Amino acid sequence: MNQDKNYIDPPKSAERFFEWYCQPALYDSILGDLYERFDDNVEQFGARKAKRKFWFDVIRFINRHTLKKSGQSKYFNNMSILNNYFKVGFRNLIKNRSFTAINVLGLSVSMAVCLVIILMINDQLSYDNWQVNSDKTYRFTHNDRNDLNIPIATVPMPLGEEMHDKFAGFEHMVTFRRGFFGDIIQNGKAIALQGYFTEPSFFELFSFELERGNPKTALSEPNSIVLKKDIAEKLFKDQDPMGQSIEVGKYGVYQVTGVLKEFPGKTHIKFESLVSMSSLANLEKRKVLGSSLGNWNNASESWIYFKLRDGYSIEGLQAYLTEAEKEHYEADSDERKEFEIQKMSKITPGPLYGNQIGAGMPNFFVIGLGVLAILIIICATFNYTNLSAARALTRTKEVGVRKVMGAKKTQLTIQFIVESILVSVLSLCVAIGLLQFLIPAFENLQMSALLEWELRPDPKAYLQFFAFSVLLGLITGIFPSLYLASFKPIQAMKNSVSNTKLSRLSLRKALIVTQFVISIVLIVSSVLVYKQIKFMVEKDYGFTKENILNVHMQGQDFRKFETELEKLPFIESVTATNNIPGMGTEYSEEAKLKTGETFPLNYFDVDEDYISSLELELIAGRNFLKSAASVNQQSVILNETAVDKFGFESSVDAVGEQFYIENDSTVYNVVGVVKDYNYMMLVMDIGPMMLRYDPVGFRIAQIKIAGFDRVKEITAIEDVWDEFDPNHEIILKTFQGEIDEFNALFYDILYIVGLVAILSISIAGMGLLGISTYAIQIRMKEVSIRKVLGASVRTLIFLLSKSLSIMLTISFIIGFSLAYMANNVWLNQFAYRTSFGVDVFFMTALAMTVIGAMTIGWQAWRATKANPATTLRDD
Amino acid sequence: MNSKLGEFEEIVLMLVAAQHEEAYGLSVTKAIEKELERSVTMSSVHTALYRLEEKGFVSSKIGDAEGNRRGRRKRVFIITAQGKSALKETREARNHIWNMIPKFVLDIG
Repeated sequence: MNQDKNYIDPPKSAERFFEWYCQPALYDSILGDLYERFDDNVEQFGARKAKRKFWFDVIRFINRHTLKKSGQSKYFNNMSILNNYFKVGFRNLIKNRSFTAINVLGLSVSMAVCLVIILMINDQLSYDNWQVNSDKTYRFTHNDRNDLNIPIATVPMPLGEEMHDKFAGFEHMVTFRRGFFGDIIQNGKAIALQGYFTEPSFFELFSFELERGNPKTALSEPNSIVLKKDIAEKLFKDQDPMGQSIEVGKYGVYQVTGVLKEFPGKTHIKFESLVSMSSLANLEKRKVLGSSLGNWNNASESWIYFKLRDGYSIEGLQAYLTEAEKEHYEADSDERKEFEIQKMSKITPGPLYGNQIGAGMPNFFVIGLGVLAILIIICATFNYTNLSAARALTRTKEVGVRKVMGAKKTQLTIQFIVESILVSVLSLCVAIGLLQFLIPAFENLQMSALLEWELRPDPKAYLQFFAFSVLLGLITGIFPSLYLASFKPIQAMKNSVSNTKLSRLSLRKALIVTQFVISIVLIVSSVLVYKQIKFMVEKDYGFTKENILNVHMQGQDFRKFETELEKLPFIESVTATNNIPGMGTEYSEEAKLKTGETFPLNYFDVDEDYISSLELELIAGRNFLKSAASVNQQSVILNETAVDKFGFESSVDAVGEQFYIENDSTVYNVVGVVKDYNYMMLVMDIGPMMLRYDPVGFRIAQIKIAGFDRVKEITAIEDVWDEFDPNHEIILKTFQGEIDEFNALFYDILYIVGLVAILSISIAGMGLLGISTYAIQIRMKEVSIRKVLGASVRTLIFLLSKSLSIMLTISFIIGFSLAYMANNVWLNQFAYRTSFGVDVFFMTALAMTVIGAMTIGWQAWRATKANPATTLRDD
Repeated sequence: MNSKLGEFEEIVLMLVAAQHEEAYGLSVTKAIEKELERSVTMSSVHTALYRLEEKGFVSSKIGDAEGNRRGRRKRVFIITAQGKSALKETREARNHIWNMIPKFVLDIG
């Protein structure tokens, strides 16, 4: 036998496991056999399989002969004691049912929220991890001098080719180019299709697989298209999609060369179809698409992903990137870009990038959720600690007896920790129940549709939940158990602990105050967020939304549609625009001031009915003229802010003035001024804006109807559309509905904030209950004696709630000042903000006081009602 | 005392006898795999050996550490007198039954 053979070692973990269970007498001989077997297997099957077989062998060896026998083994003994810990712990929990219930309830509510957050993070981490190369795939990104200073995920198209020429280390490189979007007309109906231009290497780098078609050739010929399975089914129903031709919008005719299999997991690359990159050159030549091929200045339309060969490093590549920057951009020009490399697994959740290839959850959101979860859990943990400490008073005797019997401190500590783990696992069960209600609530949120959340827990998630609850139990249990176990036996037996150790415990007081402060900050913040959003959503925009329907023209001629519509009796007016106000979208031109400086001037392309339809107030000058398009096209109507910006004396003076738009050196005559209204989101200030008459921009018809019988009126408009354009489904929304949809994210926030508020109030309530129970139990004897001596219930309740009231007051002061500072930070970001009135504090204080009075009062009342004879019997 | 031999135990015991002074867990396993072309896990062979030892059919001693054992020593099994007589007994019982079979039954075809 080859003695100095450089052999492979079997898995260390398996060896350790074997050592752990195996009887020492047999250990050596069996392990030797296992080694020999392993080496044979390595030769026969290779290292991987041999290691697996080694594990199996180790596991199969567990039987009555090999296991360490009880009595002779230290471990086995511990097992039975641990068993005992659980038994005793369980009995204790059952004995104090109400206490257990409060703890379990408090913990489970906050736990449920944490579980949702664990699921969200899991969901985010599942992106692209099914891809074989997920850990070795990177993409180029870039930084430019944009206003927001966020990095951008797209890069100029020629970057990929240049890097490929200079750097030998690429194994695969895939470029995506956006811009493919059009309608396929089928049976008189338009079906929208989106896709990216990409290369055959797509199937080598990524793990997407084809159900039909050949991955090597599917994307090589010009005008080939590969469809996702669901889209192929939608387009071709039962027919075979392979080889079919489809005409996609203005892009021409494409032949289906492949159908993708369903993806085994989530991916950050969102597409419906892939088009061969070789189709692109012709489209750019025909000016169907803007130039990106070979264009170093267009850095907003292509993504480049790649994998390096083994032995090549990212650092090596970075040097070439820096070189490319210098070569293609002037050192100080505005066009200058800094290229960077990002790992695919770090995309979502990841830093915020512009021009993402699909929606992902930015890091700060994950961190925000994490912080929220931690805050909630801290509060719940404090509650648990407080309640346990309170209950400790009833267990001093148990501790004393056990200590006298010879129990060690560590044993007692373990006992109490085991109990708290039991509570925590019990809470987990309740929390998983609660989760069944929370998950659908979260899935209904607008943003969950955007992020395609999948919050269904899988076995791995349950394992994480379990680990989380055990850890939580450990953390919550450590403090009370150390403290309980430290009782001196004699003191404990004498029941005198309460008066010495517990009452001096200022740490506990600090905990309570901290917890209240967190609760108060959370409550104040939720109330404010609620108020702010309500304020924004309900605020007057300055234009009329009532009874206006928006119909998107989808490339059809507005004037013709208008003529058709005006035949309907209930139509009050029809006006055209390029953009719906109040939705946060803006179009702007560079307007030139007299000084020669330019500034962005927002514009709306509208017709002469716009001002009257939206009931805007014309404060100077005139409206656009009816049927005088040529005059109108040189006229603009400014808002008041624009008048100020241009430096015209007043609205009246502005009428008749002229100004230039820099790019096309168009001159505009100011013919009128409208009163400022909110044409952007409500969070933003009103900027300078103009209304101009430009039929090219008429993309949306805003139809004002009588509104007597909406359903009938809408149906009539739909009928007109169907006749007018049978190829497209009508896109009709109410003006209000459209704005509500835009604000849906705010409603989402309201929803979450409401949840947090309820949560923090209930946790605070639970905390109060715990601390008041504790405070009163300490003073049971005092209360009894006073009662015997004739004190009234009212004086007793006052006496008992005094110290708690002081703590509540301190918490109020700290909590309110913190909340004031924290909330002003975000509130100041809003142009229109709700008042930070006394009412907010008053509401919070009231809520806390009511809960406080109720819980403290209840406990105090119980204490005063207790029979003094029972409490004093021991002494 | 339970001195009955199970079928698998019998095979293991025979192999211990066959590999006189050389029999240990893995060698017996390998022999079963090779001679009987029967797949068997090492742990079941070990278990059978321990059971045979409990029954007094084999005895064991710690052997040397030759081979790729990374210094771990072998537990070598040797058949005891009792084991030998148990093997003989089983064989005789089998022969007895074998002889009971009428000749024509085995003459196939």
